Amino acid sequence: MSGTDIWVMIVGVSIVSMLPRVLPVALFTRYEFPEPLKRWLSFIAPAVLGSLTAMSVLAPEGFIDLSIHNRYIWAFLPTLLVAIKTRSLFYSLLVGIVTMALLYNYFL
Amino acid sequence: MQKQELRQGINDSVPIILGYLPLGLAFGVLANEVGMSIIQATVMSFLCFTGAGQYIAIGVMQAGGAVFTIIMANVLVNLRYLLFSTSMVPYLKGRVPTALGSFLSYGLTDETYAVAMKRYQDHSPTVSYIAGLNLSSHIGWVASTLLGAILGGYMSNTERLGLGFALPAMYICLLVFMIKRKSDVFVALSSALLCLVVGYFLPATMGNLFNIIIATVVAASLGMLFNERD
Repeated sequence: MSGTDIWVMIVGVSIVSMLPRVLPVALFTRYEFPEPLKRWLSFIAPAVLGSLTAMSVLAPEGFIDLSIHNRYIWAFLPTLLVAIKTRSLFYSLLVGIVTMALLYNYFL
Repeated sequence: MQKQELRQGINDSVPIILGYLPLGLAFGVLANEVGMSIIQATVMSFLCFTGAGQYIAIGVMQAGGAVFTIIMANVLVNLRYLLFSTSMVPYLKGRVPTALGSFLSYGLTDETYAVAMKRYQDHSPTVSYIAGLNLSSHIGWVASTLLGAILGGYMSNTERLGLGFALPAMYICLLVFMIKRKSDVFVALSSALLCLVVGYFLPATMGNLFNIIIATVVAASLGMLFNERD
């Protein structure tokens, strides 16, 4: 890919990643959504985070890995417990990262 | 500008930046390897701010693919932002001016979205908060890319430091925050299962994250079956 191609690619990608983020806020804030739509939208956040968690823990390398060698599954358990107990992003991250570092260096 | 809100936004972006650090570094390194200059890699992170989309670009470039392929793949990957952005509208309405809200939505990512939605559970959105959160996350992404592109091969293995688990840990915690109703548990679990099933049977969707979009739309619709009042 030539230098020019790369710049075209960068501008193209920036346009298609900007539009879906900006357009809904730009266009819809003047309208009142009907109740059922608001309710449906209220499920988007839990749904997305359910998917993202599943993908990042069960398919960390881009393919599904349900084996005991998948460190992400082991690190998931203490992190979930700490998240529920402390409800703190900081402690969840700390426990997750430290667990992962220990697993990587000493166990799996 | 409300100083307190701005500061809160910046504080809330710290875990996000920690998660972006290894990803941005790696992007900078890989971008260099497939022939992007330091400036191109950094500008790409500044203009695009889409982790998954940028990694796809690298993958396609590595395989000798076309610019058009990269852009089309990014259309798919970024479609989920339509859902995020739309689901924020009811919160922003009447509290954040449309022009500023739209401008700051450029900084919407999986992570800034989830953190902001958590905040809006008990605080009204403000321009200062969104600016603090989105802009500093954006700066973190750009800075870690620049660092990766400069350091290139000299980078030590960030996996050893456990940083590879920063984003998963963040998703896990934000997921816990998002669960308020029984129906939320059901929706989150259905979505998790669906995205794996779809990804298993249509492996291509794992690459462009389309499985997440399908799972999200279906799971949110399943949530409508619950008729509890919250």
